[in-house]
Amino acid sequence: MGNVLSLGFMAKLFGTKEVRVLMLGLDAAGKTTILYKLKLQDHVTTIPTVGFNVETVTLRNIKFNIWDVGGQDKIRPLWRHYYSGTQGLIFVVDSADHARIDEARVELHRIINDREMKDCLLLVFANKQDIAGAMTPAEVTEKLQLNKLKDRIYAVQPTIAIEKAGLQEGFNWLSDNMKAAQKQ
Amino acid sequence: MASPQPVRPSFSRNNSSQQVNGAHDRKPSLSSFPPQSRSVSQMSHHGPAHRSRSPQPPPAEPDRNSNLSSKGKTASTGTGFSSQHSSLQYNSNAIGRPRRKLRSQYPRKSTENHVEYILVASFDIDRGPVMEHQYPVAITGDEHMLAELMLPDQAHARNQDWTIFFLHKDSSREEDEAERQAKEERRRRRKRRLDREQGIIHESDDEDDDLDDDDDWDDDETTDEDEPEGGEGPPLVYVLNLVNTKHDKTVKRGAVVKAMAICTRHPFLHIYKPLLLLALEEYFKSPVPETLSMLFDAVNEMDLSLMPKLSLLERHLLQMSNNKDLFVEKFEQMIQMRISEDRDGLADQPFDASRSPPRRPGIFRHGTKAQLEGHASYAVPRDTHEFESRVLYKGIPIPIKVPTAIMPETVGDFSLIKLIQNFSEPHAKQPHPFPLHSHLTTNGPNTHPIIVLVNGLLTQKRVIFLGHNMPSGEVAEAVLAACALASGGILRGFTRHAFPYTDLTKVDDLLRVPGFIAGVTNPTFEHHPEWWDILCDLPSGRIKISSRIEQPAITEGLVYFQQQNPTCASLVHQSHSSSAADLTGDQAFMADMLKSIATRAGERVIRAKWRDWVLKFTRIAAAFEESVYGASALYIGSDEHDNYPHTTNSTGHGYVWADDEKKSKELAGNVTRIEGWRNTRSYYSFIQDVAQIYTIRPLKGLDLHHMHDRLRTQRLTAMQSRDIYLTFAKYVRSYDEICLLLSVAPEAHAGLFYIALGLFHKDREVRVKTAELLDRIAQHEAGQHWWRGLSRFEKLAYDRIKKEVQMTEAQAGMGGLTITPGSNEDPMRRISREG
Repeated sequence: MGNVLSLGFMAKLFGTKEVRVLMLGLDAAGKTTILYKLKLQDHVTTIPTVGFNVETVTLRNIKFNIWDVGGQDKIRPLWRHYYSGTQGLIFVVDSADHARIDEARVELHRIINDREMKDCLLLVFANKQDIAGAMTPAEVTEKLQLNKLKDRIYAVQPTIAIEKAGLQEGFNWLSDNMKAAQKQ
Repeated sequence: MASPQPVRPSFSRNNSSQQVNGAHDRKPSLSSFPPQSRSVSQMSHHGPAHRSRSPQPPPAEPDRNSNLSSKGKTASTGTGFSSQHSSLQYNSNAIGRPRRKLRSQYPRKSTENHVEYILVASFDIDRGPVMEHQYPVAITGDEHMLAELMLPDQAHARNQDWTIFFLHKDSSREEDEAERQAKEERRRRRKRRLDREQGIIHESDDEDDDLDDDDDWDDDETTDEDEPEGGEGPPLVYVLNLVNTKHDKTVKRGAVVKAMAICTRHPFLHIYKPLLLLALEEYFKSPVPETLSMLFDAVNEMDLSLMPKLSLLERHLLQMSNNKDLFVEKFEQMIQMRISEDRDGLADQPFDASRSPPRRPGIFRHGTKAQLEGHASYAVPRDTHEFESRVLYKGIPIPIKVPTAIMPETVGDFSLIKLIQNFSEPHAKQPHPFPLHSHLTTNGPNTHPIIVLVNGLLTQKRVIFLGHNMPSGEVAEAVLAACALASGGILRGFTRHAFPYTDLTKVDDLLRVPGFIAGVTNPTFEHHPEWWDILCDLPSGRIKISSRIEQPAITEGLVYFQQQNPTCASLVHQSHSSSAADLTGDQAFMADMLKSIATRAGERVIRAKWRDWVLKFTRIAAAFEESVYGASALYIGSDEHDNYPHTTNSTGHGYVWADDEKKSKELAGNVTRIEGWRNTRSYYSFIQDVAQIYTIRPLKGLDLHHMHDRLRTQRLTAMQSRDIYLTFAKYVRSYDEICLLLSVAPEAHAGLFYIALGLFHKDREVRVKTAELLDRIAQHEAGQHWWRGLSRFEKLAYDRIKKEVQMTEAQAGMGGLTITPGSNEDPMRRISREG
């Protein structure tokens, strides 16, 4: 018991807290690559996720409990089971995949409209910016119809997951806004 | 399909060809969830005479008289057969061996396959899990659901993983009806045969005469006689699944994930593990249906026909005993039967002739020199607990060991020791106090987690085993172990509602199953306390009670008990507020259990101890119901007592306490969980089982367990113990009756020690009669091993009494004691040989 109490005390003192982040997106958008880039500081060759991955990553004194859930259309209905208790949603988009951006929009709005997700922050990773012809963040915002969202704190972050570009900035935004949300 | 004549899986348990054909006209549909509406339709479907398969509560208070009335009917039709008087039909020759004919568990001529389906699924990078092939035919039902089960969460993170899941056959009404009629037909025929044996002739006998012969291999018949197996519905289909992930740079997104599964009705599905490993490897090389058919044919060629079928009592004895020779005679007898069959039918059965050398067939023990050198065509197993066979796959003989005696609710090769240790060690280091719940925390906030788990299973709570980052096979093992733990081989209804491995895709269906026991690897389940009542986290070894668990209402039984026992009323509350007194004895039990594990007692010992715990729980529950409600359906036979003249009330029945104070304390400790148990599937199916076993049980109305416990635990007067010893000596005569007596005096609990104490009784009649009883036990196939375990001290007393008797006889010309008529062997000689 003593240990548990003192841990809680330390956490308060140094402000370490744990937040649950859910990372979703269509299949092959780069979710697992992002997760392991953050976790291992290294590039891993990923294979399709059967089910999910979950890792804890500490960034700027916040412990992010990041859930990466497989994106094949058949298993998307399962996403809803991960909603409860989620404080941040990272939606990963393959910016080079023009053909499926509408599909991504439909899925994103379905998630965001769920009652359990009403207070959650939304961070969109416009991934694969290194590929020629990739949509810009502004284009992604437009195609995903993010301007239609009401009462939602969101941001769109361009990223190149395999080079780790943009990931830190995205998480900085998340932690700033977590704190802001907490102060309210 | 490559096979010219695809073998169709048999779903019908009937062996008559007509039935089989009928069953094949419609394909059964399989689902991983028990059908919801089933119980209702079945209730109305079957008449009262037919045992209800439903685990649901019967519509009315269980009627204990129904058995008596049906028996009454039998008697009035003039057949006069009643197993109640079975002891009279045996002569003393029948002591050593059972009267019924020895049969095979898996007869050669049986139409039932060992394995019914082989499936292959893969993870498609665009579509998720998909089914690739099914052999010999496609399973109807949700193919996609099956594929999902075959590709467990995080399969991508491991090279290899095993899973186990069960399929519920959703059979049609017509099939049920056909099955029921066939059963009744067999029952009628059997009765007629028995009648004929007793000289009763039916008018219609002639027409049925020729049909009787095919009963010889009719496996079902003995099942009916022996035990209520799978009484809850059609047998489950057990699925063992192997999934492999192979990294391959040449394919899109770098890996191939494939799974192969074997679907079988055998609960010992783990024997197929080596075959699946080989066959899945083969499938990666040649992903064609022929790879499936090759495996299918190989496993179904497996010959288990020399494995004898044991009765329920015999299986109990074998499971409780560590003796590797117990019932070895049955294996020898099976082989002898086969040898004479081979000799007779040499011309007719070229298949057998080619397999066994015609000259000098000998029987040897497996692994002996003679057997290995190939002198023996047939071999008796080294340990009678396992039957040794082999499967020839691609020319490689793969040795297989099949358990001879399987108790209900034992599926796969789990380890109770592993389960107990996993949840005991963190608790021993630092207990996490539980929030109080009257069904679960029967020893207060520091109740042992394993007891919380068992209480949860007994009171039908929703239990989840979570193994994040663990192979799903390990999670499945924990679920199967938990089922066996709560069942003890006595209670049922756990495996049927178990989901050894499941995932989020099935959660909606899962939540519709009351009191499920599920294994998962996805930690999301922990975030949904509304989904479960008890969560067992395997990696941390901690058990959690859900913050959302429903608090049980105060029941009438609890109120009655408190009114009846005002002094214990406070204890009931105490039992779930503080852990001061160990009223249930569970703390002591767990301490003993952990000590046994620490001193390396084997898995069998631990399972036997749990069996004892569950048995004790049911007997305490019966005592509780009798004292609080005035009657209990958990014990039948108290009204049959009159059938045993010359037994007095001191023989009695039920659980034995040293004194009344101990009794009320133990009841007080158990009352809440007993009340929680009294509305569950396992409670209702136990009542059905008790009624069913009662119809086939020898010595109805005599509670040998009670009498033996009194000898063991109570201080008795000479008169009281005399009654018990003389009752044993008078009524325990036939093969089955001796089995029953041995089952209440297991070798691990001092064996015959307390019975043999009768050799020292101050009444000469008791001493002499006990010696006679021991004679009979020594001649018994299983009893001989118990006899050998008897202490030297007691054996000497036995010798002295036998000598005394002989002398008296010699003096009197004709003695008061006659050696059991018809015994082939002089007991004295036997003893000198074995002693």
